[in-house]
Amino acid sequence: MLPGGVFSTKYETDVAILRTKTQWFLLALGIMFLFVIPLFAPDYWLSQLTYLAIVIVAVLGLHVLTGLCGQISIGHAAFMAVGAYAIAILTTRYEPFGADGDWIWAWLCLPISALAAGLVGLIFGLPCFKLKGFYLAISTLAAWYIIIWCLKYDGFSSVTGGFIGLPLDPLHIGGTIEGGQAKGALIDFSSRGSLYCLAVAVMIVAAFIAKNIQRTSAGRAFVAIRDNELAAEVNGINIFRYKMLAFFIGCLFAGVAGWLWAHSQLRVNPNQFSLLDSIWYVGMLIIGGWGSTSGVFFGAAFLKLLEIGMTDYITPWLGDMLPSIKLQVHVATDIVRGMVIVLFMMLAPRGIYYLGERLKIYYRLHPYAYWAR
Amino acid sequence: MDTFLRAFTEGILLGGVYALIALGVVMVFKASKVFNLAHGGVLMFLAYLTWWLLDPKGLPLWVSLLILTLVAAIFGLTLDRLIFRPLIGQTMLVTFIITLVLGFTVIPGVAMLFWGGRPQVMHIFPSGSMSIGPVTFSYTFLLSFIIATAMFLIFVILFRYTKTGLLMRCVSEDNLISQSLGINVKWIYAISWVVGCLSAATGAILLGSMFAVNSDLGWLAIVHALPVVLLGGLESIPGAFIGAIFVGLSEVFAGTYVDPHISGFRELMPYILMVLILMFRPHGLFGLKRIERI
Repeated sequence: MLPGGVFSTKYETDVAILRTKTQWFLLALGIMFLFVIPLFAPDYWLSQLTYLAIVIVAVLGLHVLTGLCGQISIGHAAFMAVGAYAIAILTTRYEPFGADGDWIWAWLCLPISALAAGLVGLIFGLPCFKLKGFYLAISTLAAWYIIIWCLKYDGFSSVTGGFIGLPLDPLHIGGTIEGGQAKGALIDFSSRGSLYCLAVAVMIVAAFIAKNIQRTSAGRAFVAIRDNELAAEVNGINIFRYKMLAFFIGCLFAGVAGWLWAHSQLRVNPNQFSLLDSIWYVGMLIIGGWGSTSGVFFGAAFLKLLEIGMTDYITPWLGDMLPSIKLQVHVATDIVRGMVIVLFMMLAPRGIYYLGERLKIYYRLHPYAYWAR
Repeated sequence: MDTFLRAFTEGILLGGVYALIALGVVMVFKASKVFNLAHGGVLMFLAYLTWWLLDPKGLPLWVSLLILTLVAAIFGLTLDRLIFRPLIGQTMLVTFIITLVLGFTVIPGVAMLFWGGRPQVMHIFPSGSMSIGPVTFSYTFLLSFIIATAMFLIFVILFRYTKTGLLMRCVSEDNLISQSLGINVKWIYAISWVVGCLSAATGAILLGSMFAVNSDLGWLAIVHALPVVLLGGLESIPGAFIGAIFVGLSEVFAGTYVDPHISGFRELMPYILMVLILMFRPHGLFGLKRIERI
């Protein structure tokens, strides 16, 4: 709901994402703040925030697939792994531009690794020709195991590096790599701050794209499929095609996230992409609120902060209190995160975003407690 | 030929245990339309509980079994009352995600917190093995198969020939009509959860003695239950048994004949089955084809 005195007099204002000057101002301030953080934040928080930005890119893909189209994927970490391995394999095995042009190749691999993840996603989306709902989710569960198995398998280890994984060179623009360090580079992304800025920039672009996918005809078709598959089909939407498209787009985002992930860790290995990660991605979507782009940010930040708070403050304290379980006390983080997701699902199924909207409506209508809807 | 016979026997023996585990999932789905992914987590929790009662606590077997049954029943009732009863009427995806989160993070997490998650060995069945002709198998596998099949038959008979079973079938057809006929639907849901958890308890004892009790036990259980359930169709109980034998056989054959060439293929087999079944026979061999209305 809009604040008082704002009316839609033109079509352009009616469809605009940002309606008021305050919103523009706040958005600009927020983005500026995001890029200023590296100036004062300690390294630990910078690496956590980089991780958060990468996760948000992946969850934005899940938002298109699950939030808009209603197809649950619990193998999203594996699709991210495909993207990460694509860049690792391509940069370690091939040098199409010679040693001096390596950095161009690393950047060119961004669309390639996104496409690789998208195509693998299409294969495991195929069962949606006949299936819906949780049957499809089971197929993505199988996808997770099969992909990770292939990455670990000895027979492929000459390509994928098996259990050990593959190392990567740090990302940079211009210059060459000497001994794992970029020499004479225009911009070197090996420091935490610059990598953080890159991740945030990618995140903002991804959010912009995801928000606009929602507003295209394909996005409206996704929502129609989510809300009622049969009715959507009767209205002339080719369900199979649009579901596959949603799978493809969702996995493209995962591929981009994987590309960023590989460059942030400088090493890929199959254990970085666990099933629990996929479950947390779904959880972030649920906590944020299904089907809203800004919800993804809230959900991801909430779950990440919960994790940091638990691992840094509560579990050490708990381990000191109960020395008999000190060795395994770290699983308390998983338990609490899981419980929070379940509680959100039961008590606030529409997530933080909706709670925020209700607060906003209450504030804007304040003396009069009428509800817009 | 000997290899074939050995693999064949082992496959059938394993299949019997998978059938029992899958039965728990099918029972709950039949009654309350909740696809219970938490089954594996519950199984792992109960396996650690059994080991803890038997080994560190040193209780006699029958006391442990009694406590295990009680805990399983209470577990089922709690799950039903606290989590799934408030969610009656929600879509299947909501309950699916909740069981996913519970079964993969919360319940195994609690078990790890209590018992540390290190692999443990459970001694219930006599060790040793017997041979019939060229085929040798351990008593553990044989007894597990017998117990699993017996439990499976007991559950099926309960479902088929008792009043409660009749009520459960009635509720699975249509819970609204059942309610209007005076059937206590909530009670039936609770019973189906208890039955599901009892099947998990039995599965915990059997899988825990066949393999080691460890933190991956729940994963092992649910991963083999899924293709069984999909192959049998979610609604069919005989289908679950035939599907389980098929899954057990294909897993062991993959282990015997493909593993020497592609190492670790045996672990991959259930997932390949899952994807293939979902692509080509999504309603299983015996499941119902649904006709949808808006």
